Amino acid sequence: MNGRAALLWSLAGLLGAMALPWYALQEGLGTGAWLSGLWSSEDYADGVAQMAVHGRWWLAPVFAALLWCLVIAVLPLKAERRGMLLAGGAAAGIVLFGLQAFAVGLRGWTAGWLVALFGEMEQHQVGIGAGATLVLTALLSLLAIGLALRGAFGGDGFVAGAMTAVTASILLFTAWPILHILAQAFQNGDGAWQPLLAVQRLAEAKIWSLRCLWGGGGCGVFWNTLVLALCCGIGSTALGLAFALIATRTDFRFKKTLRVLTVLPIITPPFVIGLALILVFGRSGLVNQFLDWGFGVASTRWIYGFPGVFLAQLFAFTPVAFLVLIGVVEGVSPTLEEASQTLRANRWDTFVTVSLPLMRPGLANAFLVGFIESIADFGNPIVLGGDFGVLSTEIYFAVVGAQLDYGRAAALALVLLSLALGAFFLQRLVVGTRSYATISGKGDSGLPTPLPKAARRAAQWVALPWAGFTMILYGFVFVGGFVKIWGRDYTPTLGHYAKAFAIERTPEGLIWSGAAWNSFWTTVELAAIAAPITAGLGLLAAWLMVRQRFAGRGALEFATMLSFAVPGTVIGVAYVFAFNVPPLEITGTAMIIVLCFVFRNMTVGLRAGMAAMSQIDRSLDEASATLRGRAPQTLFYVVMPLLRPAIVGALVYGFVRAVTTVSAVVFLVTAEYDLATTYIILRVINGDYGLAIAYSCALIVLMLAAIVLIQLLVGSRRLGRRAPLIQGVRA
Amino acid sequence: MSVRFTNVVKRYGATPAVAGISFIVESGTLVTLLGPSGCGKTTTLRMIAGLELPSEGRIEIAGRDVTNLSATERDVSMVFQSYALFPHMSVLENVAYGLRRSGVAGAEATQRALEGLAQVGLEGYGQRQPSELSGGQQQRVAVARALVLKPSVLLFDEPLSNLDARLRRQMREEIRELQQRLSLTVVYVTHDQQEAMAVSDRIIVMNAGRIEQEGSPRDLYERPATPFLARFMGESNPAKGQVRRLDRARVIVRLGSTEIEVGDSSAKEGAATVAVRPEAITVEAAPGPANALPGTIAKASYLGTHMEYSIDTAAGTLFATCPRVERPLPVGASVALVLAPRGVIVVGV
Repeated sequence: MNGRAALLWSLAGLLGAMALPWYALQEGLGTGAWLSGLWSSEDYADGVAQMAVHGRWWLAPVFAALLWCLVIAVLPLKAERRGMLLAGGAAAGIVLFGLQAFAVGLRGWTAGWLVALFGEMEQHQVGIGAGATLVLTALLSLLAIGLALRGAFGGDGFVAGAMTAVTASILLFTAWPILHILAQAFQNGDGAWQPLLAVQRLAEAKIWSLRCLWGGGGCGVFWNTLVLALCCGIGSTALGLAFALIATRTDFRFKKTLRVLTVLPIITPPFVIGLALILVFGRSGLVNQFLDWGFGVASTRWIYGFPGVFLAQLFAFTPVAFLVLIGVVEGVSPTLEEASQTLRANRWDTFVTVSLPLMRPGLANAFLVGFIESIADFGNPIVLGGDFGVLSTEIYFAVVGAQLDYGRAAALALVLLSLALGAFFLQRLVVGTRSYATISGKGDSGLPTPLPKAARRAAQWVALPWAGFTMILYGFVFVGGFVKIWGRDYTPTLGHYAKAFAIERTPEGLIWSGAAWNSFWTTVELAAIAAPITAGLGLLAAWLMVRQRFAGRGALEFATMLSFAVPGTVIGVAYVFAFNVPPLEITGTAMIIVLCFVFRNMTVGLRAGMAAMSQIDRSLDEASATLRGRAPQTLFYVVMPLLRPAIVGALVYGFVRAVTTVSAVVFLVTAEYDLATTYIILRVINGDYGLAIAYSCALIVLMLAAIVLIQLLVGSRRLGRRAPLIQGVRA
Repeated sequence: MSVRFTNVVKRYGATPAVAGISFIVESGTLVTLLGPSGCGKTTTLRMIAGLELPSEGRIEIAGRDVTNLSATERDVSMVFQSYALFPHMSVLENVAYGLRRSGVAGAEATQRALEGLAQVGLEGYGQRQPSELSGGQQQRVAVARALVLKPSVLLFDEPLSNLDARLRRQMREEIRELQQRLSLTVVYVTHDQQEAMAVSDRIIVMNAGRIEQEGSPRDLYERPATPFLARFMGESNPAKGQVRRLDRARVIVRLGSTEIEVGDSSAKEGAATVAVRPEAITVEAAPGPANALPGTIAKASYLGTHMEYSIDTAAGTLFATCPRVERPLPVGASVALVLAPRGVIVVGV
């Protein structure tokens, strides 16, 4: 079976080399104009013609590798020998492909020593196109098949192929851009290597200044970011814990409402809370107007700066902390608490000495999430920050502002990245390798201990007003879309919606004349493309990581975590840098946005998948394998039906994050591919709040509809009566 | 033969789980891999199935080299310890799963699955969900699911470990009966020595990744080659003794003050480790017959069908079972032990 696949892939690779344009086309493949110029035109020629007619001799070794694979696939060889020769040939082909792609760029040789070695080059090459992509894919597949024939990956060609695909794509679209941007910090504008420049950039007073401590100007953006993130991490963890305790350990009546409140921010674009705060506390906000009207106090701009950003982030990220913590609080074994009470500890002692320490990993996790979300947040600081600059906004201004200093952006991204990774490792250190697992296979018949009175009061006094305030904020956002000008003219109007989403009936048919339609449909389209890929890739990677043993598993897992821990701003800049020059020249296309969505959001699908997968007994997969189910069939008939909840989760997350993300895509959008969030941000910066609010509400409705649709399409898991059987009966 | 292992090694990292084993499973026989947990028996079984591939060596099934073939491409099927019934499919869908994946058309697959269910005595259970069946019934579904593919080798991975004692006896009899009726080739893994002896044609005893000894159940029980085997195959008392050869076929084993003539042609002269089966010790009140081993009862327990005694003797503390429950001997009583030759085994130096 693997033998036939080798033959097919060799042929597919040769087809790519001989029947498709080698390089990327300006107008895309759709026009078909390339068909006539496949041999003669330098732009449209296929790989073989590029080599034979247009003098691009460096492509020859790649085709030689493909031919070698074809010969090996046809020759009657023993499986093991065929595998070795195939893997060797394909690996050589991939290396040669990479070498030529990076050595020859837009202006001939890309490095001085290459010129010295080979002499000046007349030719150049642009980004790879359909032909080259197919050749590379074929070589990767042949490598996988070769390895499988030698007995790697359980001798299964599909697993080997999936493994190669996942690894290659993570290397290409996560590891490579991030390494690339880090390198950029050490280079000058022309790409020359100047390590001292990085020191110079990193030593800037604007990053590190502490002047605010003794009056006289603002502090450096690093300190701003760090203090904000610490406050946000601690605040959201404390609030999240209060909510979690109320939801699980008291007889509070409105627990369901609490749950709803936690879902709202997930489907809310991150800067909407900032908008709402402006509506309430801004210069023309309700509070200031009331003070002005009642007491003649002149309105101030206090909300713009640290207080505003901090409040907005606290509102936005507390629900996430709650979601992290509720699982942990529920997981604390009641039996342990009962044991503590039988050992002469009262409720308060038990809470402090047993329950809280057991929640430590959850608290550390919640803090980490709050911290990283805060440093990565771009929407709220740009809307509310004012003079209070943080790293993410500073990077933005370095790239799009008048400075246009990529090196500085890279250096700032480096600082941001070290902050994120520092927090990540600190969390690992705190939680350590100690096992806190309190959910065991044995039934736990204990009853959760109610909270001690003091703790309950404290939790309620903090959490309930907060919840009420959150609801008020959302209420204002909703109302804000229906009044003329907030703060001045509260006449009800549908004008903002009309401006954004007007559809006119004309004799030529419907015209989507609203200002928002363009970005709206782009958003829907790209998110709809990205979500299934995100979920599919994430779950496939999860399946490989949970079910396959292979060298480098840990490294691969870390690489996927990297794209999650790296703030979106950094990812966005990294993508721009890595993909605006050949060999992968996709800046300004829709593809780069989709890729960014996929590899940024894949981690959550991966994590959810890994968690769900490790609850499904491995022997179910193995049973399918011994019952003649090949790996793809096992995935389709056994694993996927059991993973439905995780699939729904990954799809929803993939879609919702694609719609709401700002920081990563703000550098990637173009006039042609504008996204809803970036469009709204620009409206907010221009002070056009009404339209921005109306659009945000429309997005929330869109995402709710998408969630319902996904739930309907995927359906729920059908299990027998006794659900625990899914974990197998093995003790 | 159906399965042939040649010098197979399986390593996880640097540690070998299976350290070079060779064996053959003949067609139509039931061979058990027996050993303590961590001995490599399950890894060996999974290598037959293709769920693990060997690091070194060669595996053949039905004359075909399958060393690097995946599980799907091998003509084997397996009954898992956890049964691994697909919880989202009905019993019938479970049994038909392998047939459907092998490309058998829907109606025929259903027909054959129904026959398979009938073979294990589960007619009429097809539409149930696996979770609606008892443990024994789930076990039978798992067997039927593996059987309907008519594999060259059927594998069982500790199939009875999730059943209670009574059901375990019944199921092992059923498995043996089914294997003989259909003359299946079966490789069976267990850590339970009694279960292994009850179902097997041959037993391969493994320890620390190697084959300790293989043979028929009777061979292994009566002629264990090593102290490990004597301990593992049934109860036995390790004791230090002296071996003296009489002629080519007979040796004398001296334990404390007693001498027993044993028909063991291979034992060497000199100091030796001797295994004494508890059931081969007859406990008599002192002074007893002339050649008896004197001792003192250290512990005594009443188990309904028999007595269990720990007895301090010059050859060490011996554990003995005694069917005479009506007159138990008290702790501290002086006794004389008579050792039956078939229960005294020289297992090495």
